[in-house]
Amino acid sequence: MNFTLLAPEILLTILAFVIILMGLLVNNKSKNMFGYLSAAGLLACIVYVLGNGMTDKTSYFYDSLVVDPLSQIFKLIFIIVSLIVVIASIEYFKNDRNQDEYYVLLLLSTVGMMVVASANDLISLFVGFELASMSTYVLAGFEKKNPASLEAALKYFIIGSLSSALMLFGMSLVYGMTGTTNIPAIIDYFNVTHLSAESSLGILAMIFLIAGFGFKMAIVPFHMWAPDTYEGSPSVVSALLAAGSKKMGFVAAFRVLILALVAIKVDIQYTFAILAILTMTYGNVVAISQRSIKRMLAYSSIAQAGYISLAFVVMTQMSIAGGILLALGHALMKAGAFIAVAVVGYMVLNDNKNAKNSDDIGNFAGLGKRAPITAFALFIFFLALAGIPPSAGFIGKFVLFYSITVEALTPATSWLLIVVIIAILNSALSIYYYARVIRYMYVLPSNGEKIKEPGPYVVAMVLAVIGTIGIGLYPEPFVQMAINAAHVLGV
Amino acid sequence: MSLYSYLLISIIIFTIGVYGIITQRSGIKILMCIELLLNSANLNLVAFSSYNGNATGQVFAIFSIAIAAAEAAIGFAILVALFRLKDTINLDNINILRW
Repeated sequence: MNFTLLAPEILLTILAFVIILMGLLVNNKSKNMFGYLSAAGLLACIVYVLGNGMTDKTSYFYDSLVVDPLSQIFKLIFIIVSLIVVIASIEYFKNDRNQDEYYVLLLLSTVGMMVVASANDLISLFVGFELASMSTYVLAGFEKKNPASLEAALKYFIIGSLSSALMLFGMSLVYGMTGTTNIPAIIDYFNVTHLSAESSLGILAMIFLIAGFGFKMAIVPFHMWAPDTYEGSPSVVSALLAAGSKKMGFVAAFRVLILALVAIKVDIQYTFAILAILTMTYGNVVAISQRSIKRMLAYSSIAQAGYISLAFVVMTQMSIAGGILLALGHALMKAGAFIAVAVVGYMVLNDNKNAKNSDDIGNFAGLGKRAPITAFALFIFFLALAGIPPSAGFIGKFVLFYSITVEALTPATSWLLIVVIIAILNSALSIYYYARVIRYMYVLPSNGEKIKEPGPYVVAMVLAVIGTIGIGLYPEPFVQMAINAAHVLGV
Repeated sequence: MSLYSYLLISIIIFTIGVYGIITQRSGIKILMCIELLLNSANLNLVAFSSYNGNATGQVFAIFSIAIAAAEAAIGFAILVALFRLKDTINLDNINILRW
């Protein structure tokens, strides 16, 4: 059997185990090299995935893993996010004596997300989901002398395991109905037997699965853990959670829910429309009143989850492509924004060793003078998150909202127009709290010296800025990739 | 016993688990309730496997038992770290992060 398409997963797993072993042999001073080693491995994976491009569907291990355009584009998202986070972590965990374990967990969580992206069987989906979740539980509590970090980890752990238990229960019901765990076989079964929407067991299973994935996607009403966890975790880990782990929930939902909804033909449009509207409105409204920037970013990330889940409402090829594009853009913008917050934390700790709440909005005053590169990068990320062209955020939102408007032209589904209008109003609302931070950065006077921004942070932010602007200026190949990926789902 | 009775037991265990997670304040008890949830799903899988007459469900259950063990280890590790820092694992006292 030819495993070349799975080479990125294999490479990252081997790298993780090599780092575990080498961590025992290397003294604490030279543990910095593991960061560079991980970055090199991830870079090789990006080159490899891009080199293979949008391959045809190839299945592995008795059809339990499948490599197709959908898995390729999400693998690319996960590896890029992981690379940005690793580069920033080289600086963030520079003096930590456990940093070898940090990189091991980071690489294993990336592998878990990649397995979910290419899962074609409920068992491999569950195992990949758990690999990624369990690594991130530990990462969230990595600063074990910091009570906020541990509290974030505990909350994330409790809610995360509850969600995986719900998901497993839903999967057991699906298995009970169909007698198989292979996702295409499940769809075939539903198509052949015409198990209809009235099947209460089917609806129950769907609710459990939506709850399980919804916790990871942080859509209302499953969002409670997200602000606490993103605020308490180390900033680089928050970047991974918001940009990577959340997208894992979406790819799992794309794989399972869309296919199953197409097969069962449950009229679930209204449910998802209400969930999406609640999610985006709640996220944007609560974000306005936040003073902690990490918490504000967490709520804005909930709002973005609301936009992305609009793709489930109409489920046309175009809307799913829009959802994937927005997921790609959001991964870059959010990872960059959290790393910019990490720079501010570094700056505040530089001023005062015992500073608390380093991500308070007051510390952003005069950032344009104190740390010009960070301030400019954050400025770009905020505009992109608000959906202002030319940026990845604009392209994603444009394709998504356009596809829903097209559907709304059909008289039967004209209510979708209201959904689009609410989504656009929400976008406008979000500009308020982004602009508030921009005002702090550029208008208010600074209260400190100009600092030298550490190299790894700058490299990570510049990578994210290039991605954000690059997709905005030159969207065609990415739109094509997303449409190819949506085509796999056969809607 | 019929499939129905197994499913009934599993749904009872599941409900106890959810009830415990909502009402209990001790970290250890919450971990126990999470185990109940996972095991009710395992019971479901094995019962369906026997009913459907194929082994996939039992294979799934073995995977999920292994994963539940790893999950419990991580949960206790977080609780131990928290206990060292704050001398309590009562969730009411773990409340720095709120809005």
